[in-house]
Amino acid sequence: MNAGTKIGIAGVAIHAPQRSDTRSLEESIYAVTWAALRDAEFGIEDIEGIVVAGNDELDGRAISIMMASGSVGGVDRDILSTPSAAEHAFVLGALRIASGQFATQLVVAWSPLEVDSINDALKIGTDPYWHRALPQDELATHGLQAGVLEHAVPGVREAAAAIVRKNRLHGAMAYPDRPLGPVEDAFIASGKPTRWPLTDTMVAPPAFGLVAMVLADGDTIAKRKCGNVAWIRGMGWATEPGFIGDRDLSTLPSLDAAREQAYAAAGVTNASSFDVAEVADGTPYQELLAYEGLGICARDAWSKQVASGTYARGGKLPVNLSGGALSFNPVFCAGLVRIAEAANQVRGRAGSHQVRNAKRAVAHAASGPAMHYNTVVVMEGGRS
Amino acid sequence: MKAPRVGIIGIGQSEFKPRRDDANYPELVREGVTLALNDAKLELKDMQAVVYSLAPDALLGIGNAERLGVDAVGARNKRFMRINTGGATGISSVITGWTHIAAGECDVVLVAGADKVGESGDSQTILNKIWDPTYERALPLGTITMLAMSAVRAMHKYGLTEEDMARVTVKNRLNASKNPKAHLRKVVSMEEVLASRYISWPIKLLDACPQSSGGAAMVLASEKYIKDNKLDAVWISGVGHCSESYYMGDRMGNKIMADHADAHALGRSFERSYKMAGITDPAKQVHLAELYAPFSNTEYHSIEATGVCKLGASMALMREGHFDLGGRIPINPSGGTLCTNAIAVSALVRAAEVALQVWGRAGEHQVKGAKIGIASGNGGDHQFFGTMVIES
Repeated sequence: MNAGTKIGIAGVAIHAPQRSDTRSLEESIYAVTWAALRDAEFGIEDIEGIVVAGNDELDGRAISIMMASGSVGGVDRDILSTPSAAEHAFVLGALRIASGQFATQLVVAWSPLEVDSINDALKIGTDPYWHRALPQDELATHGLQAGVLEHAVPGVREAAAAIVRKNRLHGAMAYPDRPLGPVEDAFIASGKPTRWPLTDTMVAPPAFGLVAMVLADGDTIAKRKCGNVAWIRGMGWATEPGFIGDRDLSTLPSLDAAREQAYAAAGVTNASSFDVAEVADGTPYQELLAYEGLGICARDAWSKQVASGTYARGGKLPVNLSGGALSFNPVFCAGLVRIAEAANQVRGRAGSHQVRNAKRAVAHAASGPAMHYNTVVVMEGGRS
Repeated sequence: MKAPRVGIIGIGQSEFKPRRDDANYPELVREGVTLALNDAKLELKDMQAVVYSLAPDALLGIGNAERLGVDAVGARNKRFMRINTGGATGISSVITGWTHIAAGECDVVLVAGADKVGESGDSQTILNKIWDPTYERALPLGTITMLAMSAVRAMHKYGLTEEDMARVTVKNRLNASKNPKAHLRKVVSMEEVLASRYISWPIKLLDACPQSSGGAAMVLASEKYIKDNKLDAVWISGVGHCSESYYMGDRMGNKIMADHADAHALGRSFERSYKMAGITDPAKQVHLAELYAPFSNTEYHSIEATGVCKLGASMALMREGHFDLGGRIPINPSGGTLCTNAIAVSALVRAAEVALQVWGRAGEHQVKGAKIGIASGNGGDHQFFGTMVIES
């Protein structure tokens, strides 16, 4: 981004409604929007631009962002949408401020449970001629990725099970009001295969979730004397090819590219400089790939480091203290939730799962089949 | 902050047709990309980011179809995101590409997309799904009926007639006959338009855009990159967006912000673009406009939203030939969306056509002496609007 650009995250709201039948989706989007604004101590009149992200198939609408524009205060405002990924809305919001044409941006994304089968809805994203006849929904691509990793990395299944347990225990502490998935080793290991080698106890069921963030430039934050700001030091985002047959699913070159962009911008040379991390974990294998892609841990050390508690609460680099998507899985916006959770850590606003004195955090978001899109954000707390 | 200069250095448009059985979706995207790269004399490896222009998934029948286009645009392991603001998607995508460069994130960005509206079956059945599933979807709402209601309101408010509407079609078809990329290129008379069958009164078949298939792309670059590489360019000097309400019912009655006869938010978007570009009197400073108007009646309120004339004044000026190719401010010299509508890229084509005009490369439909042009896109239920000022 332009030299000297200062962009901070001034407000965050993450909503996990336990029920979806008492409030419409529009009302839920309104609620999370206003919660983020209140968190930033901003009014909607302070917002100059909005970027939202929703998924037409999950929302059961064509151009689902249309219904959101009123709820997010979009009428008479500059509003865009990035249906490719929720985290892309964050990237674009930050770019819009960096362009110098906006002082503030509101970023909102949601993932409802309005369809009978999320897996069937997302299967529409496959090629209609070659792949749709196959049982290849998004979870199946995650299973293929897990299978390739099990072949490539001996002992990885045990590390994966340990990550499930770690994140669920984190989730229980962070959000005790949310349903807790299984945490006992034997129970995790005894799950029924859902998309081999993934079992039903190794993933979390889809959940209704929404997330909103308020971004502002350095001048606005200084003028308004905003406290608890997460400063964006570096961003990177990249994509894998469209067909999973064109990929080596045991690697993530797009995460390497995104990391290089983000770390170069932030001046990060070693992942040991992070105090906390929130990474994609739609499956525990995804979290392991994130360790490698972010330079946190090479694959030959996964088992040892996970078993030693390095990435657990109290460990050297706590990962997914929020519980991650293995605890709470709003499928489409889980990536933006990772960025929001990491921001809250360096803002000192993470509540019961706060890491003491967290100064620098890395967030990693992945979306689509077998982590198709990868986004990395480096944030710091304190002064600009 | 002063807007940084971002240039357009390459443009590619496929031919737009009712069907493109010869090219699947990614191939159609690639067609526009190849043409744009050849125009810029660059290669895919030179692109640092890709902004993907794709409106509703449902028109293609593929969820998140941008993923199938990743290799067609050469984005593997590169920055990539998709934009969707309905019919405004194309211009929103160009503006997002502009944002990548203005933010200092990239020096060269590819903006690309395609649509196969002509192969979608009945686009209006699909577009009915943009409305609220509980309250509105059961009504016979499509984009045609929605904008027919706008026409009826304009008849009441400004005295719009079916002859006024037909006049737009006659003008745009004549323009499209000079544009080899356009879908509907047959010249039509007032009598033919007025004799065509009603689709949704007062909109008749020849007042309506076609369902087009085709692809388009644009290469944008920073001023530094353009100077360092001694490239030819035209310049994006102003960009803007603005949105209206989702529910059309909120555009009628007392105390409304926007009237369904008009394009209030389009006007607000143009105000933002003009402010950035330093345009204070568009009637004098703008040489041409490519305005997203898929139905003949909507060209009037789009013209008025540009500020080149007052509300309700555009019909008289149209009768006087003010907006003809050769008139004071030619509107849609390419034939516009009324003659070609591949929804995902229609508004990108509006920007591309303005760029070609101020570059002096528009061919037979060139506006003589064009130096400053404006483009617009409309999306959703006449809800999202994007605008742009492009200068030589």
